[in-house]
Amino acid sequence: MTSTTLTPVAAAGDTRGRGWRRYRSRTFYLFASPWIVGFVLLTLAPITYAFVVSLTNFDGVSPIWRFIGFRNYVEIITSDPGAWASLIRTIVFTLIVVPLSVAGGLALALLVNRRIRARGVVRAIFFVPSVVPVVAVAIMWRLIFNRDAGLLNLIIGWFGADKVTWLADPYAFYALIIMTLWGLGGGMIISLAALQDVPVELEEAARIDGAGNWRVIRHITIPMISPVLYFQVITGIISTLQMLVQPLLLAETSSIAASSNVPQSSTLFMVEVYNEFFYNQRFGYGSAMLWIFFVFILLLTLGLQRLSKRFVFYQVAAGGDD
Amino acid sequence: MATLIEDDVRTRAVVRPPGEAPRKRRRRLQTESSKPAGVGTYIAVIIAVGLFGVPFVWILLASIASPTQFSQGAEGLLDVSWDFSNYIEAVTRINFGAYTMNSIILSTISAVLSTATSALVGFAFARLRGKGQNFLFLIVVATMMIPSIVLLIPTYILFSRMGLVGTYWPWVLWGLAGLPYLIFLFRQFFTAIPLELEDAAIIDGCGWWRIFFTIFLPLAKPVILTSLLLSFTWTWGDYLAPALLLNYDNTTLAVATASGYLDPRGNGLPTIQAAGAVLYLLPVVIIFLFAQKQFMGSSVSSGVKG
Repeated sequence: MTSTTLTPVAAAGDTRGRGWRRYRSRTFYLFASPWIVGFVLLTLAPITYAFVVSLTNFDGVSPIWRFIGFRNYVEIITSDPGAWASLIRTIVFTLIVVPLSVAGGLALALLVNRRIRARGVVRAIFFVPSVVPVVAVAIMWRLIFNRDAGLLNLIIGWFGADKVTWLADPYAFYALIIMTLWGLGGGMIISLAALQDVPVELEEAARIDGAGNWRVIRHITIPMISPVLYFQVITGIISTLQMLVQPLLLAETSSIAASSNVPQSSTLFMVEVYNEFFYNQRFGYGSAMLWIFFVFILLLTLGLQRLSKRFVFYQVAAGGDD
Repeated sequence: MATLIEDDVRTRAVVRPPGEAPRKRRRRLQTESSKPAGVGTYIAVIIAVGLFGVPFVWILLASIASPTQFSQGAEGLLDVSWDFSNYIEAVTRINFGAYTMNSIILSTISAVLSTATSALVGFAFARLRGKGQNFLFLIVVATMMIPSIVLLIPTYILFSRMGLVGTYWPWVLWGLAGLPYLIFLFRQFFTAIPLELEDAAIIDGCGWWRIFFTIFLPLAKPVILTSLLLSFTWTWGDYLAPALLLNYDNTTLAVATASGYLDPRGNGLPTIQAAGAVLYLLPVVIIFLFAQKQFMGSSVSSGVKG
């Protein structure tokens, strides 16, 4: 982010040296102060506090606690197979869910970008799941995954398969994947908007040169919208890695105190952290896990940002906006 | 119903400033695939619609099934009688009215406060200058990306030590701080407004405060509406924050729907919960149907500007 992002306004505003000045830092800070104060108190303070707590053996209740240095961190890294397993599980989950949802969103976008009947209704049906509140999503899918009254077992029964207890190990992992993918309509809309910005001349030229549908998509469409796909990959990775509520709510009995009821196969890293806090009452240990995760996600984001330069095609000065 | 969603999702009034003309229609027609869709496309569309729509159908079926039909299994659900007693049970078994009221109050507090603050801060980033401004904006963008759930647990511990658990103060504070995404939205909108508007006001001796309230804010009505709708539905749909920070009697409908429908022995009541969930999600779907442009546009602008 350089200062060039703000030039249109800045250029006209320099009347320095006389008594009157258009811009004063003071004014900017006055207007931005709610957010600045809020950022310090509601973002910096909690994350700093978590770091302090992570250096202690605080249990959330007892006033007797002491600093134990980085012992929590050492324990997590050297002797907590549960944390490692859940981290690996989360990474695998993310590696499955993110590509599938970006690709699925793109496929749907290509579909509803064609001239079909009732296109608006179709788009709405694909998009609505992504705005349904997570509590309702989980209740809906628990009904689908229900062992006896669930639709999924009914359907696989038609093909002669035995009933599956979807919400228990090892199937809960797949149930969580299916439920997450249901919300890919948000990505569809982003891809659809990008598709509509692809200059049609390029696609036509390729067709004249004899490229079929698939080759046009592969060599023209996807490269042209790659920045948007890439953006979806990054935000998808960040939000999927920290998934917590979905596994909690999908678990068989889902009251807030029942976090330990989450089946192992859907115990993602944040669920593990949640259990440390509210089930094992190990606030210090949980905070250390949070910090490790926080740094992990931060480094990953920076790494992906670097990587993007190699794969993403950024059109030069395409539109007027930004 | 065919125009439920505008054909061109790019023409989003959401972030288009008043000075900028809507994009030309001609281009949209060009970018469409020129041939009408074939049978294969329709088969794919029908299958996809089935996959995405079926959870809605299934929950509606469960919500009108009797417990015995439900316990008979999936075949029982395919053959339900139209019995709405689950809905009556859903609103009487828990204190449905009170929870709904809590959700409305909390969502309104969040929506109004965060929209007001975000407009102000977005204006500051778009039209004012200050030392370190670009760095601060980088932080705004970064906080849009940084794990928010990671923050919630430490925030909960802090708030509980300050005695704010069980009150609506956390939402007031979060609202007053503004939401990075909404700040971004407002900033995008305000940046594109022509400088001349502002110049004229400055020559007339207006201060920034008045410029903001009398010129920029009235122009921003579409963004304000989008911001209100989005933040309202976010708080309405949020589960974790109210579950952690509120008590059983002043919590939101989200938490009550998720964990309130139990029989005295603590077993779930799936058909009644299904009815409760339908009632709970209905407002969101209605808001969505009336304001698709805002919802989809915000999705799009979050993606395209990234």
